Amino acid sequence: MIFDIGHLILLTAMALAAFGIVTGYLGGRWRNTRLIQSSFNVVYVVAALVFAATVILWYGLLTDAFQLSYVWNHSERALSPFYKFSALWGGQAGSLLFWCMILSAYGAVVAYVNRDRHRALMPYVNATLLTTSLFFLVLLVFAADPFKRVGFVPPDGQGLNPLLQNFWMILHPVMLYLGYVGMAVPFAFAVAALLSKRLDNEWVRTVRRWTLIPWMFLSAGILMGSQWAYMELGWGGYWAWDPVENASFLPWLTGTAFLHSIIIQEQRGILKVWNIVLIWLTYFLVILGTFTTRSGIIESVHSFARSDVGPYFLVYLVLILLGFLWLLFDRLPLLRGEHSIDSFTSREAAFLANNWLFAGIAFATLWGTFFPMFSELLTGQRISVAAPFFNQVNGPLFLLLLLLMGVAPLLGWRHTSLSAFRKQFTFPILAGVAVGLLVFLFARSFYPIIGLAICAFVVATIVQEYVRGVIARRATTGENALAAVAGLWRRNGRRYGGYIVHLGIVMIGVAVIGNEFYQQSLSVTLARGESAQIGRYELVYDGMISERKSNRIEYHALLNAYNLDSGRRVGVITPQRNIYDKTPDMPTSEVGLHVTPFEDVYVVLNGWESGGASATFTIYINPLTLWMWIGGVVLVLGTLIAAWPHPTQRRSEVVRSLAYATGDD
Amino acid sequence: MAEGMTERTVGAEVQHAHRRSVRIWQAVFTLVLVGFIALLAARLIQTNQSEHRASGQAPPFTFTTFDGETISLEDLRGRGVVLNFWASWCAPCRDEAPLLEAMWRREKDNGIVFIGLDYLDQEPAARAYLAEFNITYPNGPDLQSAAARRYGIKGVPETFFIDPDGVIQEVVVGPIVSQAQMEALLDKIRPRGPSQ
Amino acid sequence: MHRIKHALLFLLVGALAFLAVLSPGNAELAIAQTDAASSSTDVRMTQNSATANSVTPNEVNEVAKELWCPLCNGVRLDACELKACEQMRDMIAEQLAEGWDKEQIKNYFIEQYGPQVLGAPPLEGFNWLAWILPFVALAGGGVFLWRTVRRMVTSRPQEAAIAMDGASPSVADEYSRRLEEELKRYG
Repeated sequence: MIFDIGHLILLTAMALAAFGIVTGYLGGRWRNTRLIQSSFNVVYVVAALVFAATVILWYGLLTDAFQLSYVWNHSERALSPFYKFSALWGGQAGSLLFWCMILSAYGAVVAYVNRDRHRALMPYVNATLLTTSLFFLVLLVFAADPFKRVGFVPPDGQGLNPLLQNFWMILHPVMLYLGYVGMAVPFAFAVAALLSKRLDNEWVRTVRRWTLIPWMFLSAGILMGSQWAYMELGWGGYWAWDPVENASFLPWLTGTAFLHSIIIQEQRGILKVWNIVLIWLTYFLVILGTFTTRSGIIESVHSFARSDVGPYFLVYLVLILLGFLWLLFDRLPLLRGEHSIDSFTSREAAFLANNWLFAGIAFATLWGTFFPMFSELLTGQRISVAAPFFNQVNGPLFLLLLLLMGVAPLLGWRHTSLSAFRKQFTFPILAGVAVGLLVFLFARSFYPIIGLAICAFVVATIVQEYVRGVIARRATTGENALAAVAGLWRRNGRRYGGYIVHLGIVMIGVAVIGNEFYQQSLSVTLARGESAQIGRYELVYDGMISERKSNRIEYHALLNAYNLDSGRRVGVITPQRNIYDKTPDMPTSEVGLHVTPFEDVYVVLNGWESGGASATFTIYINPLTLWMWIGGVVLVLGTLIAAWPHPTQRRSEVVRSLAYATGDD
Repeated sequence: MAEGMTERTVGAEVQHAHRRSVRIWQAVFTLVLVGFIALLAARLIQTNQSEHRASGQAPPFTFTTFDGETISLEDLRGRGVVLNFWASWCAPCRDEAPLLEAMWRREKDNGIVFIGLDYLDQEPAARAYLAEFNITYPNGPDLQSAAARRYGIKGVPETFFIDPDGVIQEVVVGPIVSQAQMEALLDKIRPRGPSQ
Repeated sequence: MHRIKHALLFLLVGALAFLAVLSPGNAELAIAQTDAASSSTDVRMTQNSATANSVTPNEVNEVAKELWCPLCNGVRLDACELKACEQMRDMIAEQLAEGWDKEQIKNYFIEQYGPQVLGAPPLEGFNWLAWILPFVALAGGGVFLWRTVRRMVTSRPQEAAIAMDGASPSVADEYSRRLEEELKRYG
């Protein structure tokens, strides 16, 4: 009964969304206040309805309503309530509902926050966001109904995919969806600007923060996904360039490019067409990614079971492609640049190079992701495009990008004089060369030396910028160094927060270099009491214990780890295997870890014999991995500093534009 | 005045040429993206088709047995063919292996051929498997999974029953363990009339 | 508006803290701890236990690292736990014991299972496109950017002229419109 209401709610939301698109569009065109108001109301009501539908499905999951096909397929009685809750995004229909819920919530927040502002833009923003909602509601109503019945009431469910029964699988999808779906908001503003012909700086200023927030979630989501892969898949790595991983990475690339190039538009009034294309591309890649992971056209360990949503997605992709291009081409004359670029050694030029590299990496990634598919289609040959391809093609581009990340902030707008050049670059280059030489002493391979030298260079530029900023503030205000840093963040968060984000990226870069070039591994079978040695660690196998949990048995192997340098015991490493009652032939793995700032000792339990008398392990030493997760936290903090409302803005909305002109470099 | 006029015309021509090049770029951009989506659509159709196993006329294939003999499906016209996809790492395959061999021994003089195609397997393990079940009908590796893909198998074991005209009559997914089921299937592909 | 943003952030932080405290490990009951020996379920040894020769698992994995499981999607052969992959690793061990080198083994795998056992498309035929196109696109974009910026940089002194040029279409349009009108009137 209640589930029929759920279905009805989705149907109502769908009809309302269609209505809201019309009122939003016409209201914007005719400047009709009542129509505009109605579009706002629709946005709120649709959000409430979709949320209600989600709650109903949650209710179904938590109360074991196995008469629902979705609950039957993705839950079971013995599942812990946490995973019953997260089973919402464990399967096709539920995750589409979740997608739609987040989207409509974004729509409501955007509408509410801007209810008295951007009067010309908002009706179109509402209409555009509702269009995306409408598409997903159509999917939920016609192709992937989360409230579909089984036809009888099964006694128990089939269980949730064991791989998804992991702590990070609760957080990671939420973050990822918040980021992924949120990219629809800046796109809606771009479309609104095009439709209303208000192509001045207004939408650009608004959209920056509405891009930063989803960008932060997307970054965090991707990193949490890596963490999950690292802990759960047990192959010693965190990123496999799998098609589904790439699907989340592609909008991140174009979104990051957009966040940078939008600054040039704000400052110099150029790249208007490019920016609009970039944000559309980001949105397009989000829909494309959702399509590829759900239609079965690409094979991946992470993809959802096949369903009939494919054709719907294709139609929608064509629609947003042609509709957007038509609109863009029609408005081209309104998108002329106001200035030009004055010099190759200007920050504008460096930002252009940044965009060029991001676009290049995005293209290579897209191409590599879809190439196996095209190859099979056109030549019939099945090939795989995995890490070796992406590392070889993207690796050098990422290095260049890293270098540019250090160079660009040191260049002035419009032009950099030779003396300024010398003043800005001396210290960072020295730092880079010093670290490069230091690495050369230990390891003579090209990429790590260059990579780590560049990392040092970038860190030095960031330190130099901070030192200069602090000195300048202390000269004027006389506050102490810490207060000066806080002052920089408060007064100039965009710039100094941005540097923190860059610092986070460098940390991630260092971790990647460490793992890519200095990973060690060892496969051994150990009888109880035997030991294995890897790097500066010795591991002694101490037997196994098992533990019965509600829906699985956990097997833990105990390994005592000793540091050979210090001769001390550093702890117990317990790699683990879970055998789930519902899927006994799919034992999952939880790696055992000993984490230090220098390296992770990472142990996978491959198997055992005679109840644990002997066991087989793969042991990895993963250098510097911890810095990837620290870098992720730093990146999020930096984004928050950059996105935090400016103090002068908070005081008054009137002086907003003034604050933007003066407060930000 | 006249000079000003020509300058304007030249300006207009430059403008015109510029506009044309913009239009060409627009067309190229649009076409590339539409082409991309068209490829996606083609792929989607292909994916949906490959969901279905081969039916109707059996796709041709040629393979070399572990004993070095080359066998082509086309050469087997006029006889019923039982085409079994298997692998040594496949546990359910073991359930049907004895029955397959027994039926081959019984039917080989009745115009029915058994063929085993070894799917993504390792030769030493495969030979051990054949020896273990004493399998004597022709078996060989399905190199690069060529036949497996043409027949659209989803896993092993899968068995195709092909009649003397080369038409697939029946597909069984999973092991065949019942003698009765096997008899019924074989009856569908027996050559008509006494084979001379 | 900012109050809302703050509230949202607080909510987010609160939700994170909530999840962290009530992580699923705590939410569940550990029913019994028994010695694994009492359980009959052994998990298969997957790392080349069968090979009784002098080749170590590490040497095998050195090769297996560069191959991909043909039965899975994107799983490296050294980390794959399928029985088929285990047998493939056994096979590598045997080949190594016979003195094959890495390239020979990889070629054997390609011949047996097709090029999909490689992590990247082999450099031949249509596959060249996979490698070349990203760099062609990058170079094309680079040339386009370079030329655009150079044109902007060199034309900077005549910014006034650009402004004129930018204004000319409307002038020209105006001119042709008037021409049309006159033609209509007199023609």
